[in-house]
Amino acid sequence: MKTRIFEKFTVVFAWLAGLVLLAGVCLLLGYLFFKGHASLNLSLIFGDTPPLRALLLKQRVFEGLFPAVAGTFVLVVLSIAWAIPFGIATGIYLAEYAGPRVKRALDALFDVLSGMPSIVIGLFGFSFAVFLHKHYSDRIGPCLLISSIALSFLVLPYIIRTTQAALEGVPLNIRLTALALGATRLQNIFLVLIPRSVSGIMSGIILAIGRCAEDTAVIMLTGAVASAGLPRSLFSQYEALPFFIYYISSQYADSEELMQGYGASIVLLFLCALLFVTAYGIRKGLSHFVFYRP
Amino acid sequence: MKKYGELVAERSFLLSALASSSITVAILAFMVFMGLPLMKQAGFYQLLVKPWAPYQGTFGIYPMIVGTGCISLLSLVVAFPLSLGCSFLIATIAPKPVSKGLRRLIELMTGIPTVIYGFVGIFLLVPYIRELFRSGSGLCVLTAALVLGIMITPTMTLFFCDSFDRIPRSYLTAAEALGASRTQKLLYVILPCAKMGMLNGVILALGRAVGDTLVALMLAGNSVRVPGSVLEPARTLTAHIALVIAADYESPEFRSIFACGIVLYLFTMMVTFLVRYLSFAEGRRD
Amino acid sequence: MRRIFFIQPVLIVSILLAACLPAFSGSLDSFQGEKGELKISGGTAHIPVMKEAARQIMMANPEIQISIAGGGSGVGIKQVGEGLVDIGNSGRKATDEEIGRYQLKLFQWAIDGVGPVVNPENPVKALTKDQMKDIFAGKVSNWKTLGGEDREINIYTRDEASGTRAVFWKKGLDKGPITPSAHVVVSNGAMKSAIAQDPYGIGYVSVGHIDASVAPVALDGVVPTIETVQDGAYKIARGLYSNTRGEPVGLTKKFIDFLYSPDGKKIIESKGFIPVR
Repeated sequence: MKTRIFEKFTVVFAWLAGLVLLAGVCLLLGYLFFKGHASLNLSLIFGDTPPLRALLLKQRVFEGLFPAVAGTFVLVVLSIAWAIPFGIATGIYLAEYAGPRVKRALDALFDVLSGMPSIVIGLFGFSFAVFLHKHYSDRIGPCLLISSIALSFLVLPYIIRTTQAALEGVPLNIRLTALALGATRLQNIFLVLIPRSVSGIMSGIILAIGRCAEDTAVIMLTGAVASAGLPRSLFSQYEALPFFIYYISSQYADSEELMQGYGASIVLLFLCALLFVTAYGIRKGLSHFVFYRP
Repeated sequence: MKKYGELVAERSFLLSALASSSITVAILAFMVFMGLPLMKQAGFYQLLVKPWAPYQGTFGIYPMIVGTGCISLLSLVVAFPLSLGCSFLIATIAPKPVSKGLRRLIELMTGIPTVIYGFVGIFLLVPYIRELFRSGSGLCVLTAALVLGIMITPTMTLFFCDSFDRIPRSYLTAAEALGASRTQKLLYVILPCAKMGMLNGVILALGRAVGDTLVALMLAGNSVRVPGSVLEPARTLTAHIALVIAADYESPEFRSIFACGIVLYLFTMMVTFLVRYLSFAEGRRD
Repeated sequence: MRRIFFIQPVLIVSILLAACLPAFSGSLDSFQGEKGELKISGGTAHIPVMKEAARQIMMANPEIQISIAGGGSGVGIKQVGEGLVDIGNSGRKATDEEIGRYQLKLFQWAIDGVGPVVNPENPVKALTKDQMKDIFAGKVSNWKTLGGEDREINIYTRDEASGTRAVFWKKGLDKGPITPSAHVVVSNGAMKSAIAQDPYGIGYVSVGHIDASVAPVALDGVVPTIETVQDGAYKIARGLYSNTRGEPVGLTKKFIDFLYSPDGKKIIESKGFIPVR
């Protein structure tokens, strides 16, 4: 009897938990949309300037999100540009060349890196910038370059792990076929293994992009500022969307700015959701394309 | 010719692997280097137990350690039942379409930026908590822990689901053959087998909660005192770093954030090695 | 004889014209043909003025890029001293030690005050200095002892790099203690939104920032407004400074001159501060 009650209780408990979580998410998203939908129009992004002129960089945007969106975009592109070559190369090394002991050691180090709080990485970036400023060049300070390098540290483990897992997931017979036909190790990697792992690697990259776009702690310490216009050069400070949301939430001057904050949150949410769905679609779609499997 | 190309490629892969892994070490080295003057002056152990009172010359991070501990542990208390229940639903209790849909939704939830949790928390939860308990300002340990708990629930749930999935199918078929219902399968077969995996998930979620900056920065009030109750404001190690980064580079206040960084780093290392050890031990047992 | 008579008025008029010329320099025309980047950081009270000035300059001349960060007075002084920014704003006068260490040049362009504020719904709108000191020290902890509701007083203070905090602590609290359980916010704007959202909070903010969302608290009978700061009735006053490392040159110099120009003064007044000659 007691076990029966316990089992029934488990079922109720499980459904309750699911409902609570669902309610929490709906509350979050619903509140955001409810408060912010009024601000969703072109002037949220472009302020008073006509969109075409702003996009062609002919005119500055002052009261809109365009600089922040552009800043986030440039930041993400740069960070991924740094992270991809190192990440994929390291993943290839771990999957194909590393001996068991080296593999264990490197694995441990990357596990630590992946669990590292983002603010510690931001702190590292900041102190690195100060170090460079003092000992190398007066021009270097917290800026776009340092931010993108720090962000690439943040997402490197993602790319390494997914590359390694994707490569290791290639079945043994395929792995050995090309080698048996006389291909070198390198040819095998680039002509056989990587093409088969593309979907895994791509979804890892897209996840990394999502992580870069949403992170605030790292950029807060390494160069994102409240007002800077479009990023001019690698050594300039810049605006970014998540930093804008954080800044507005604590320091909004009037209800207009608050509405901008809601609008920015919705934009950021859409961006991250889009990236996520894309990653998922790539994972499913590419494998479908390659293997003709529904 | 070909051999030369091969060698170059292998060496460059190795080089990039070494470069990437050296980042982990470099982070620790930098923090120790920058924090050394303060630690030599005050002693690292002293820093860990003294309160934060710069005008009196003490730069201890003890209140921040307590703040981090309270908020993260409380968030685990919030997240664990939720994750457990949701993973039950996904694993066996809910019908297939509901289970799949819930899993997709939870995967999507992991992509929600933390700054948005904080943003909504400020305007929705803070006034509510203030009025509900009729005390304090709403910016307190409880608010931060609630939001943080909801934030780490999807990760923990997915982890639990993954460890449920790793159970050999033969166990489940055996249970079914003996006539077990869905719930009984869950409680008496899946749970005991997945215990270690679940423990891993909890530890990793704790690591994530400790490392989160924005939720605590925006919702916990950032006072410098050890919180006396869950309705009082507190400051975490991560929020402390974000707040003090502005100060003078030579000052002991500034160097205290490197002490915070070192504590966080060591904690992350501990979590990582604990999880690795547990997985290793579990792997060996099978 | 007639020639001498002619010369005098001409001389007078040309001297008058020459005296007017400094008033014309520093206005937006002086930025014609300039290009480059200007980095500003520091005091958060200065930010509205900085943003508006930057906007006007950047609209008049798209080749110029001005980036503005906050951080507090301590950050401003430190960063300009280290050369990380071109102009470091501070809401307090830099100490002699800081001036000596970084070769700072100070430019005060406005007068401001720091006043205690509460939520507009709070009935308690006047305090004595002793009451305020007790509140911030944590000795008085419930609004009902001051005539308000029976709720705890939530104290908001600024971070350690803040010039606003330094001025308030020195002149408002007579260097008295601030309870460690106070909530810490990072800028004047943040203080304003925190108090606007908390009906039981009390904090302090730059007088120029006080608007309808927060209510100033009269201190010993004097309400902190920009007028009482100007005529000296409200004692907790401070200057808004822009600091540079060494003499400013080029774009930096033009920006600072702009702050002293009539256009600049208009901006300063519109943001609620008192421009300084």
